[in-house]
Amino acid sequence: MLIITRRQGEKIMLGDEIVVHVMEIVGNSVRVGIEAPRSVPVYREEIWNAVREENRAAADSTPDSLPPSA
Amino acid sequence: MSPLTIESSRFGTMEIDPAAVVEFPTGLIGLGGRRWAVVSTDPQGAFHWLHSLEDAALALPVANPWHFFSDYEVQLSDTDSVRVGADEPEDVDVWVTVRTGSEPTDFSANLRAPIIICRGHGHQVINEAPTAPVRAPLFPASEAAAA
Repeated sequence: MLIITRRQGEKIMLGDEIVVHVMEIVGNSVRVGIEAPRSVPVYREEIWNAVREENRAAADSTPDSLPPSA
Repeated sequence: MSPLTIESSRFGTMEIDPAAVVEFPTGLIGLGGRRWAVVSTDPQGAFHWLHSLEDAALALPVANPWHFFSDYEVQLSDTDSVRVGADEPEDVDVWVTVRTGSEPTDFSANLRAPIIICRGHGHQVINEAPTAPVRAPLFPASEAAAA
């Protein structure tokens, strides 16, 4: 992992198109602004993880695990 | 266009209407996959399958969320709304993935990350609505007892 120290107001470039702004540091929270092309979705990691887990669980399903239609 | 044929690990040989092919520019969250189709083994049933056209063994059961949750709401961020093309809602299909289980009470739908299909393009998005759990029971115990 690349580790970079940044101060409030400084930015990080990911390639040419994605900019991560360190906007504000209050206590143990950091406000981060992200500029990215619209085609790049941005997720909070814990939500991304939870959704990935549900997708994987759904993908483990077999046809006979579904109830027959009423 | 002639139908596509896939050799599904679950369903055997399936013919897919090319018009039913959905391109997911960024894939499903954490799963990837660019080309999918919604297939129905039982068109009258509540459950359908989002089947990969690239991986014969990859398919997820999906449901129309309003079939189970009549007051379901999807709220997208402005960026997502434009990205998925949901600015013209009449052209949009919404599906939710289904987690199955051995008991009806184990079944749940992911209301937090619906799949939006619009004009042949699909996106799995994060629903910003306040009550959109990742694991919403499809057959809550109280209803199961009543059935």
